[in-house]
Amino acid sequence: MEGIEVAPLGSLVDTGAVRTRFSRELAEVAGIQPDDSQTEDFAVGGQRIRGAPARVTLRLESDTAAHSWDAAIWFCEPWPFGFQLLGLDGFLRHFRVTISAYEEWLECRPESG
Amino acid sequence: MDFTATISGRRFRLAPDRVTHATADVLPDPLRDHYVVIGGRRYPPKQVIALVTGLDRADFTTHQARRILARLGFPVARRSNSARMSPGRGPSATPSPAEALRPYIGQWVATDGDEVLVGADSPAEVVSWLTRHNRRAQSMFRVPAGDAEAGGVAPL
Repeated sequence: MEGIEVAPLGSLVDTGAVRTRFSRELAEVAGIQPDDSQTEDFAVGGQRIRGAPARVTLRLESDTAAHSWDAAIWFCEPWPFGFQLLGLDGFLRHFRVTISAYEEWLECRPESG
Repeated sequence: MDFTATISGRRFRLAPDRVTHATADVLPDPLRDHYVVIGGRRYPPKQVIALVTGLDRADFTTHQARRILARLGFPVARRSNSARMSPGRGPSATPSPAEALRPYIGQWVATDGDEVLVGADSPAEVVSWLTRHNRRAQSMFRVPAGDAEAGGVAPL
């Protein structure tokens, strides 16, 4: 994520999630100010969580390729999870994703459109 | 296990609890080859002795620092051969990735492969450490404390 390039984020691709949600702490580290006027509440695992959006530049890279895009990220607190959540808006719309759970790999190809 | 050590011509009374206390709120510097395990974290031996004694790191050698810390009962080892630790309180073989993360439960960590570069209470501390030491992690995440934090439940 822009601002914290030294620390690529371990994230969970969730095909059932509409939005992409990160810990609010990460926005503070990266100097990003979410739009608190759009704050919304939602529930995760029985816990009430608040999130506000900001547009940020994300970058996905491997040893051989990299792709950057702008995304609406919902920065949430509390965020007690071990991962950042990659959902439809902000991530899946930007890639063609192939998953092999059996072989334990995931391939993301940027959509050309 | 207290003893007096002479380092750089000065005498210091050392004890394990003093070492543990001195390192409690200090993040480990990047490791080169040698390390000592204190409170589940790997520190460069010279960093620890410098913290405890106030001496400059140039005033003593890594081997001196290793010897003193081993005598105090802390496991010391080399990254190139982490399967062999002395004095035997450490793991008997290279730990699995899950075992390596166990001391960091609830903390944010930066990793490079299976190696934990740094663990801290906030991502700000982790990013600050990486920047200060001119390092880039392969991944940063919070080590989950349980299944719910590891897998979560998909938000609506």
